[in-house]
Amino acid sequence: MKDTAGYITEDGRQIGGTLMEMRNITLRFGGVVAIQDISFDIREGEVRAIIGPNGAGKSSMLNVISGFYTPSEGEVWYQGKKRPPMKPYQVARQGVARTFQNIALFEGMTVLDNVMTGRLTHMKAGIASQALWWGRASREEVENREKVERVIDFLEIQNIRKTPVGRLPYGLKKRVELARALAAEPSLLLLDEPMAGMNVEEKEDMSRFILDVNDEFGTTICLIEHDMGVVMDLSDRVVVMDYGKKIGDGTPDEVRGNEDVIAAYLGVPHD
Amino acid sequence: MFAEIFIDPWVDMFAAPDFLMQVLWEGLVSGILYALIALGFVLIYRSSRIFNFAQGIMVVFAALTLVGLHAMGVPAWVSVALTLGVMFVLAVTIERVVLRPLVGQPDIILFMATIGITLFLIGLGETIFGGENKVMITGDLGIPTGDTVLEPFGGLLILQHLDITVVIVATLLVIALLAFLNYTQMGRAIRALGDDHQAALSVGISLQTIWVLVWFIAGIIALVTGIAWGARAGVSFALEVIAYKALPVLMLGGLESITGAIVGGLMIGVLEKLFEIYWGQPLLGGNTETWFAFVLALIVLLFRPQGLFGERIIERV
Amino acid sequence: MAHLTKGADGLRSVPALLARNAAQYGRSPAYREKEYGIWQSWTWAETAAEVEALALGLLNLGVNEGDFIAIIGRNRPYLYWSMVAAQSVGAIPVPLYQDSVAEEMEYVLSHCGARFVIAGDQEQVDKVIEVQEHLHQFEHMIYLDPRGLRKYDHRRLHQFSHVQEQGRAARDEFTGELNRRRDKLNYDSICVMLYTSGTTGKPKGVVLSNRNIIETARASSEFDHLKPDDEVLAYLPMAWVGDFIFSIGQAYWSGFCVNCPESPETMMTDLREIAPSYYFAPPRVFETQLTQIMIRMEDSGTFKKKTFDHFMAHAGKVGPDLLDGREVGFYDRLKYRLGEFLIYGPLKNALGFSNVRVGYTAGEAIGPEIFDFYRSLGINLKQLYGQTEASVFITQQPDGEVRSDTVGVPSPGVEIRIAEGGEVFYRSPGVFVEYYKNPESTADTKDQEGWVATGDAGFIEEASGHLRIIDRAKDVGAMADGAMFAPKYVENKLKFYPNILEAVVFGAGRDRCCAFINIDLAAVGNWAERNNIAYASYQELAGHKQVLDAIQAHIEETNESIAQDDMLSGCQVHRFLVLHKELDADDGELTRTRKVRRKIIGEKFADLVAALYDGSNSVYTETEVTYEDGRKGKIKATLEIRDAKVVPVTPKAMAAE
Repeated sequence: MKDTAGYITEDGRQIGGTLMEMRNITLRFGGVVAIQDISFDIREGEVRAIIGPNGAGKSSMLNVISGFYTPSEGEVWYQGKKRPPMKPYQVARQGVARTFQNIALFEGMTVLDNVMTGRLTHMKAGIASQALWWGRASREEVENREKVERVIDFLEIQNIRKTPVGRLPYGLKKRVELARALAAEPSLLLLDEPMAGMNVEEKEDMSRFILDVNDEFGTTICLIEHDMGVVMDLSDRVVVMDYGKKIGDGTPDEVRGNEDVIAAYLGVPHD
Repeated sequence: MFAEIFIDPWVDMFAAPDFLMQVLWEGLVSGILYALIALGFVLIYRSSRIFNFAQGIMVVFAALTLVGLHAMGVPAWVSVALTLGVMFVLAVTIERVVLRPLVGQPDIILFMATIGITLFLIGLGETIFGGENKVMITGDLGIPTGDTVLEPFGGLLILQHLDITVVIVATLLVIALLAFLNYTQMGRAIRALGDDHQAALSVGISLQTIWVLVWFIAGIIALVTGIAWGARAGVSFALEVIAYKALPVLMLGGLESITGAIVGGLMIGVLEKLFEIYWGQPLLGGNTETWFAFVLALIVLLFRPQGLFGERIIERV
Repeated sequence: MAHLTKGADGLRSVPALLARNAAQYGRSPAYREKEYGIWQSWTWAETAAEVEALALGLLNLGVNEGDFIAIIGRNRPYLYWSMVAAQSVGAIPVPLYQDSVAEEMEYVLSHCGARFVIAGDQEQVDKVIEVQEHLHQFEHMIYLDPRGLRKYDHRRLHQFSHVQEQGRAARDEFTGELNRRRDKLNYDSICVMLYTSGTTGKPKGVVLSNRNIIETARASSEFDHLKPDDEVLAYLPMAWVGDFIFSIGQAYWSGFCVNCPESPETMMTDLREIAPSYYFAPPRVFETQLTQIMIRMEDSGTFKKKTFDHFMAHAGKVGPDLLDGREVGFYDRLKYRLGEFLIYGPLKNALGFSNVRVGYTAGEAIGPEIFDFYRSLGINLKQLYGQTEASVFITQQPDGEVRSDTVGVPSPGVEIRIAEGGEVFYRSPGVFVEYYKNPESTADTKDQEGWVATGDAGFIEEASGHLRIIDRAKDVGAMADGAMFAPKYVENKLKFYPNILEAVVFGAGRDRCCAFINIDLAAVGNWAERNNIAYASYQELAGHKQVLDAIQAHIEETNESIAQDDMLSGCQVHRFLVLHKELDADDGELTRTRKVRRKIIGEKFADLVAALYDGSNSVYTETEVTYEDGRKGKIKATLEIRDAKVVPVTPKAMAAE
């Protein structure tokens, strides 16, 4: 079986044991097979990317990990245990935070409130205490606010703290979404096309933030991207998907040399 | 005719400022209750897109339960606690039996479901408590009944202690609700769910919990309004109408705006009273309060379809 | 406070002032900084302790007396402490502009031979590392924000807080040495070295002594009655002499509190929260704010707009008189009060100016409308005229004698002389010691008797004794027919229009003047939006026919006003074009303080200048630009050239004067 000792990356970071493992995942929608018998693992502390051309099933895979889809076949193992079918909010409470390709923020709320919702998974005081027992709830509120302020500082969005999210430009919304996910102090951070629709400068900013998150907090990150260049620079290991199948898995260099991958990206018909 | 419409009312107001204050006060008392009820609607609408037709009957049901329990010999405050318990059970039941199976159905189906809830509660209420009018247990709850007479501008202003209590309690409840929504994590979760379901799920918000919570809040509001209105008008199925007063408030304030519900409620309460006293009674023979609010709301909607406080809907291509 | 007014006798260095403040105002706030959404603050006593810990840490790292310590970063208390700590150990702080590119930094760092660098964050650290191979004297770097720096080689890199910790740990070993060095500091010790960006050539290191800084701080603090409970917001570059005087000189002399914003982007919010009592901003900041207010008022409802206009008109009528304490009728006074309640108060509050007791602007000419707007609101905005070489103050406006067209009377202790050609000279206790390692320039600028050439041409108004500045002395040239050519004068007039961000006027040695215009994207963009004019880029908007029409109208109006002035009527703009790109410091077209570099622009856009003078109606051009990440690209454009109406006059030749 898989070793649990981890490995050391090119830039000298120690990567830990397996955090999440997908075992023979298949996902069907009616007759359509979105994911076909895919297995791979995500290790603690690494930046893992899933890449592939449009329609390869990357987003479906991310939705399986985050509980938005339940796989038709196969098992999801998380933190050493087999994960039973779960609702997305339950997955979130297990420490898996995510962002969305098309940005799903609470548009009517301020940036601060949006990021504060990221702390919901850490809510200890129950509904009753929230409403009545102010002591505990308000102490928790202060703690949450402190954590959230660090994230706001980290992502350099202090100037828009009190701005309603609906008024922000696209690039900043993406950053706020990342902030909300980070506020959850996740064990696993899922990023669905974090650079989609960004210009070069915004992409560079976002790349820097992703690397800094991994570096500063040691957060395990799994991201989807179709911009090969960005992915290769960011990630430690890459899964390549095409037509719902896994066609490559390894370090960026290994994947770059893989013929199936080249074919998929250059559009050479495979048979 | 011109003078009667455009001049006399203002003259009357200035001639007897004490009476004007009396009218405004009474408008304020109803207004704050309208605002409370509208808040209940807004919370449920925001978190589940359901227009809760059953809000009115919940008022009746809460009041009936309270009075009924007391009639069975339960002490007044224990009855209040038990009624809250009943409203909580009702919220859980509605979520389990009605909402959960209907998740994802078109809005109109969910709206119909709340009509179903209404009919069910009418039946249940009549079966358990009977259909006859009852008297609110005002005295047993320790709500003062006397009045205070003030003499502003050398005139006369009578403040019923009951009304004062209602205003204080309702205001506190509104403030508490606002604080809950704005400064607690649960409150943020409620607002978040109203904005984006998918995102709410991703940060660990459970739809079921929030739904039970907002229906329970609606239940608490129903109980408070039930006691307040019941103390003035008696407890009967006619109490239901107070909930329908919330409709123009919602049209005015917008279905999704919390501020809108509060301001709209107060506005309608005060304006309908002013209109009734200064225009309705002298010119139209009175009883304008039944329809004035709706007409006002319609006029506003002509100019601002999104309501006074609703988000302007901008279609983007 | 008798102790204070006794003069700077016992207080002959900034560390000595710090010691006095710690003893005298120990518990009042010295610094505030917003971090993690909360204003953190340090008292004078705490500041003294922080500075001492850092100073000990610097000794521990091996800082020698006379070493140069470069300081690079945005305004943060830690970096101000770094300057004072450097002084405490006998080293010389050299603050650098944080937006300098690596090559610019390399020049300054190697010119002063900095052995140590204290940098704000990874961005600054990276720039220094990029050029460190060429810096032979550079040894250690200290950084504030550890973010992103964990994996760096830490043999010569130290975290600020660790240096302080080591300093505290080594207190016993080094306290004696620190005291010895601190006690040696006197009026002739170097206080700071500041590099002037200069409109031409390499930057020069201006050496300022403790005498320069402390005497200037004392005189100017007394001039405006600055007190320990004043508040300033430190947001202008730390490398600029003004910030050094306000945030160190005057702050330490008067003992007031220096507030640092959370980040450059939150400056406006922080300004509102702090509501400083003493405020400085270059004209550009006031201009931008006024433009924003006007844009918002244009967008607001009719009623609001009407009320605003009505009360602003009233403020314009009586506001300045009220501010200067002149007689104003009872009704006008009452109406102004109402306006204060309805409009001025809330507006000042939104701008962060509710508590401003003394406000200054300088560096460029400020538009009279802009100046009057703020003064009519009751904000005591004044002008001063200064230079790095003078430790800022040359002239300033006393309360009650404020006008937009002068720069005031000589500051206390300053003598002024106007030379033959109109150039302004001054002599004062603030006059700099020398340009570092540049005796020729020092001699060119400062004569034996201590008179310094400002490089500006101007004259003293007979009636008021106020100084008026026309232009840079070397920019005041002659046109082909010998008429006076003062481009800055014309450019400033043009820039007073909100639509015009920058203007560059050419005409030296030629028969007529022509101009490049940069439109203000905020103002013109907003106008375009309101008039449903679609545009995809700055370039497209700049070339729009209606925009050109508007600019042409502005120029013709300006020409009419210039024609009024006998000496300068030859400077009317005959032809103009609107540039296809914004002039940018990164492309070398502006200085870091955003002054136009006329010569460089003239050379870079030689084809456009030629077209202005050869009578053609349009010109095609390609321009190389540098993006923020350092990549280069090309912009291509065809620009329309227009003629502007001029008022026919016969300018007096300069010789006739």
